[in-house]
Amino acid sequence: MIRLENVSYSYPDGKPALSDIHMGIRKGEYIGIIGRNGSGKSTLALHLNGLLKPGKGKVMVKGMDTRDISRLQEIRKIVGIVFQNPETQFIGRTVEEDLAFGPENLCLPPEEIRRRVERVLAEIGLENYRYHSPKTLSGGQGQCAALAGTLTMEPECLVFDEVTSMLDPDSGKLVLKHVKKLHEKGKTIIYITHNLEELHDADRIIVMDRGRIVLEGEPENVLSNPFLLDLGLTPPSLMDLAERLKKHGVMIPWEKTSSPSSFAEEICRLFLKT
Amino acid sequence: MPIILENVSLFYSKNTPLEITALKDVNLRIEKGEFVGILGEKGAGKSTLIKLFNGILRPDSGKVTIDGLSPSSKKVKSRVGMVFQQAADQLFCRTIYDEIAFGPLNFGYSRKETEERVLEALEAVYLDRTMLSRNPFSLSGGEMQRVALACALALRPDYLVLDEPITGIDPSGKKEILETLKKVKDQGTAVITVTHNLKGFFPLLEKIIHLQEGRISFQGSRKEYLETENVPLPPVAAMMRELKSRGIQVNPAVFTVEEALEEILRVKSIIEKEKAEKQPE
Repeated sequence: MIRLENVSYSYPDGKPALSDIHMGIRKGEYIGIIGRNGSGKSTLALHLNGLLKPGKGKVMVKGMDTRDISRLQEIRKIVGIVFQNPETQFIGRTVEEDLAFGPENLCLPPEEIRRRVERVLAEIGLENYRYHSPKTLSGGQGQCAALAGTLTMEPECLVFDEVTSMLDPDSGKLVLKHVKKLHEKGKTIIYITHNLEELHDADRIIVMDRGRIVLEGEPENVLSNPFLLDLGLTPPSLMDLAERLKKHGVMIPWEKTSSPSSFAEEICRLFLKT
Repeated sequence: MPIILENVSLFYSKNTPLEITALKDVNLRIEKGEFVGILGEKGAGKSTLIKLFNGILRPDSGKVTIDGLSPSSKKVKSRVGMVFQQAADQLFCRTIYDEIAFGPLNFGYSRKETEERVLEALEAVYLDRTMLSRNPFSLSGGEMQRVALACALALRPDYLVLDEPITGIDPSGKKEILETLKKVKDQGTAVITVTHNLKGFFPLLEKIIHLQEGRISFQGSRKEYLETENVPLPPVAAMMRELKSRGIQVNPAVFTVEEALEEILRVKSIIEKEKAEKQPE
């Protein structure tokens, strides 16, 4: 669905941000991207719908080149981005207006805009905030509203750039729940984060460092890879514990490391069986 | 002398239909040199609470004293350093040097003394001297957060108060900030932080204050906290508690991966021994 071919990008001051990135994203895939600050994750995200154009190489979205200005609107209908700070992306005076902004810009008929806004308000659970100013929402609700604003464009692919890093854990979980639901509905998801614990359900994880892809694979293999420590990334603590228990003959299967209770349940099963 | 709050209550939009109780009957005491974590769900009153510590907010009832002084006195302002969550909100100078020097100059320190303090603060937050001439708004979020921290440190405060200092920062950046805070604490400054990041902060906290709907629902040592019901725990501690509740005799007051590993293996060997003893029957 999206293909990056030998993409390189340098900041205006000449500092390289991406070097020779080669990757493909299939329809319906759930990809996690991790890496330390300055590793190029957000720069990569901005390339996925043509907000940045590659200095070298090309980015193809469903066969359309992001450098081709005439296809840009079409590309942005397909790939939507949600950023870290929701306040930077609000435009409307009320949540409802904000949600309508995208489809209005596509010159859709009013009934269609209304249909989309209603559907998304219900989907994300924002009906009660319809007439609130987006600026008065709490962090979690604000991030949900930002996501909703992207969803009214009905994109096939959603890019999330550290959407939970400014939220408290409960709000973070709420946003993540919506991300998972969208994936189940068949949307292609690209989820950028520092919090490795959030990537348990991803199909594939890409690790970036200094503008390059340095590691790629299934979460099970990537998240327990000791190489992550060298990159300044810490594996989720329960996964770390499972990995160390393995050396002592206590095998906790990967899927049980996702929560404290499933982990404890597994230990009980192992220890208390007769 | 400590920070003392006695029966403090604070309301937003008081005497209007929109009145909200932000803090109710809060009593607490924070000593110099303590590392204190203020925990609680969103809306529990954490950020309101810390704004009382240097007079940004005043209580509607009750009393706040810092080293015996009222928080609105100028003396207190230089003793209590604040760093907010959105570092960008508190930066406004044209260069990082001016930014960090702003506090000391404002409090009347000489240019020479100020320069010393700027360099010391910069080093404490692991930033390079070459950055001094840069504009604070050209920095990444993590770097901005560190500059904001340096600004507070340049006043050599007795109390350093922080609101979520490591959100949005990558794991190695988090580690550096935590190291800085530990060093600051070891030099005798109280570090008081609002946080949701239990995994990162838990090993450092000596005292924990847990707020719930504007009231203190727990105040005590980390050890006592680990034994308290219905409080958020870091993942390993939550797992150990769950094990204990399922009848496995582990010490639930364990929160690091190393300790948990040791504890689980210890219990495993006991269980295996018991099984081996039963077998012959």
